[in-house]
Amino acid sequence: MPKVFKIRKGLNIKIKGESAKEILPFNASRFALKPDDFRWIVPKLLVNEGEAVKVGTPLFCDKENENLLFVSPASGTVKQIVRGEKRKIEYVEIESDNRFESVTIDIPPITNAQNITLTLQKYGLWNTIRELPFNRIARPNRSPKAIFISGFDTAPLAPDVSYLIENQIDTIQKGIDIITHLSKGKIYLSLYKKANNDELKTLSGIEFVYFTGKHPAGDVSVQIHKIYPINKGEIVWYIDLQSLIMIGKLFGNQKLDFSKKIAICGTGLEKRGYISIPQGAELSTFLSQNAKKGNYRIISGNILTGKNISQSPFAGYYHHQITVIPEGGQRRLFGWLAPGFTLWSYSRTYLAWLFPWKKFNPNSSLNGGIRPVIFNTYYDNVFPFDIFPAQLLKACIAEDIDLMENLGIYEVTEEDFALCEVICPSKIAWQEIILKGLTMLKD
Amino acid sequence: MRRLEKISEKIEKNFEKGKPLHPFYSLFDAADTFLLTPKDITKTGSHIRDAVDMKRAMMTVIVALLPTLLFGLWNIGYQHNYSIDGSTELHILSNFWYGFLVWLPIVITVYVSGLSVEIIFAQIRKHQVAEGFFVTGMLIPLIVPPGIPLWIVSLATIFAVIFGKEVFGGNGYNFLNPALLARAFIFFAYPSVISGNKVWIADKADAFSGATPLDICKNAADAGLNANELLQQLPSIFDSFIGIIPGSIGETSKLAILLGGIILVITGVASWRIMVSTMAGGYLTALLFNLFGSGAYAAVPAHQQILMGGLLFAAVFMATDPVSSTHTRQGEIIFGLLIGILTILVRQWNQGYVEGLVLGLFLMNVLAPLIDWCVIQLNINKRKRRAIKARV
Repeated sequence: MPKVFKIRKGLNIKIKGESAKEILPFNASRFALKPDDFRWIVPKLLVNEGEAVKVGTPLFCDKENENLLFVSPASGTVKQIVRGEKRKIEYVEIESDNRFESVTIDIPPITNAQNITLTLQKYGLWNTIRELPFNRIARPNRSPKAIFISGFDTAPLAPDVSYLIENQIDTIQKGIDIITHLSKGKIYLSLYKKANNDELKTLSGIEFVYFTGKHPAGDVSVQIHKIYPINKGEIVWYIDLQSLIMIGKLFGNQKLDFSKKIAICGTGLEKRGYISIPQGAELSTFLSQNAKKGNYRIISGNILTGKNISQSPFAGYYHHQITVIPEGGQRRLFGWLAPGFTLWSYSRTYLAWLFPWKKFNPNSSLNGGIRPVIFNTYYDNVFPFDIFPAQLLKACIAEDIDLMENLGIYEVTEEDFALCEVICPSKIAWQEIILKGLTMLKD
Repeated sequence: MRRLEKISEKIEKNFEKGKPLHPFYSLFDAADTFLLTPKDITKTGSHIRDAVDMKRAMMTVIVALLPTLLFGLWNIGYQHNYSIDGSTELHILSNFWYGFLVWLPIVITVYVSGLSVEIIFAQIRKHQVAEGFFVTGMLIPLIVPPGIPLWIVSLATIFAVIFGKEVFGGNGYNFLNPALLARAFIFFAYPSVISGNKVWIADKADAFSGATPLDICKNAADAGLNANELLQQLPSIFDSFIGIIPGSIGETSKLAILLGGIILVITGVASWRIMVSTMAGGYLTALLFNLFGSGAYAAVPAHQQILMGGLLFAAVFMATDPVSSTHTRQGEIIFGLLIGILTILVRQWNQGYVEGLVLGLFLMNVLAPLIDWCVIQLNINKRKRRAIKARV
């Protein structure tokens, strides 16, 4: 039996709004690629408004590495290039012609890593491989000490990964065979011990690792920390299973197909399920037909680490989940005194803890005023790393680079602090502060 | 509710930037968020947040203090009557009322003095008024004798808030427990009102001794009594546990303190590690004195020694202050153990400080960052060793 890691420190937040396992009919007519989805990329535009594009036509590249292309997920025309402050590119929008014609694909012989790297960059799939520390797009021509794949997701309302990849196991195998060439180290696939892993277990050329326990067991950085922690100077890469399908299709079937399954969940929706669409699809028409009345927040990703896309509702590049929850801001009378039977709290300061089986209705209220860190050891309960979270947070606030390094900032991403942020009685913006710290260290 | 919100919005307009009342915004904010939870929504990071905030957490501590407070108030009345005519009638309501009238001026003095300082500093620093003082203000009356002069309480509170907290940056940045500092201030500046036999019972009859168990032990040592004579003078273990003895308002009833401790541990607001290790440190040290010590005091059974004075109260409510205690799990255990050890050592060896606890806790507040430093350094070294191993 392979090794099983148990994540004891963590938290499964029980909320309403799971998605049913059915594919909802949906045909997106607009798509967008947002440079902000790719950390620290400086985009250089390669198309103009009104230009015709195919699936695979480069829309922009990275200024620092012009081989790294970001390509159109659909065929049609470039409808608009939306810019924000200081002419920063917010997103490039494609009006789809619904034909999904792709550029001609020419795959060189798979003999060395160089060929694979260039091909993946050329067809816009390199960006599906990401690098830790820093959670950025993998830098080509570096040698990661291992590549990690997470085979499950434990976030609130997360999709069932085995459903996302149903009947695609051969393509995944092909993808794995390709990325094997990219690293001299092993490829690890983490599975949830109690989940149905029958399909995934048939994969070969990888090392299986089992996890059990609470969220964030499904987060790849937690898995890396347990399996093979990152030391200063080392890098590891990770990729998700649906991206492996895209890579497998490109190399196996000479086909460029950016579609993936996304879970649609959250209490803001009448009908919840899955949709199967190319990356970056525009969702507002779909969601508005389905939404309940009221003021809702559309989140690409889960409620812990996702992005608020209410303003421009295009699905995020890396997310496989769209969550719609009510906006908060309703004020409660004497919050410090009320019994709180319906409120959610990790602490047991509200009487709702007497009903642990109850699922609660989430909303976006901050529920308090911002204060300095008071309960320093409180966060340890939900933070499964061998790292002191409050001390690392303070090192980031103090901008003490040596201390950040010593306390292990290279082993974490800001998303690992999401649970600390959620339960924080001081309402501190943990993820923002840690990201600032990481940004200071990037080379 | 909507109507209240609208009224609040209307009033808030007068406190906005540029309006004449703007300098008092923090006062408005304190009152507004006292009444209604803030209307803010999440902007960055996680989209949902826990319902608990600092107000709720601090309120939980106050709820946990209630059993101690209620018993303490009754005990003030009971001790007063007992000292006058030896009455052992419970008289629950009348004793409670008597105690309430003794306590009320103290607590009002503490809150008025402390909150004034807090609000002035919040105003100067443009902060919101921090909730920490609500707990401090509740603790101070519980750790002073019932008959303490109000001006001393006021002075001690102001001193504690300014020099224990605000000069370091306010709540969350202090390294001393402000309530403890207030008590230490009184002890060193006005020792006569907080030590000796006379102060622990409100308006006591002169003929009655009124000594706390700790004082009895000290007096026994001074008088050269032997262990048996001392044990006869001490109150029974039952009385000490229930709390029908003279002492600071909140420290006497161990039962009520334990109830509060259970509330704190269940709600997750305070660390059980500190509570348990403090008591364990005290008990083990007392046990060593039992085994190897000489003199009457050293012979008092360990379990009876840790029921004396404010050790349990401090272990549950003062040492667990999340800011002035250690900030690491492993450190909490060392921190607590050392408090217990130091307390008993000072009590036994330095009879000039009858309540060794104040010194023990004080010293450990100062040393807590050092303990943390060691614990964190161990973690850092572990990481460095792993990196070296990976390179080889």
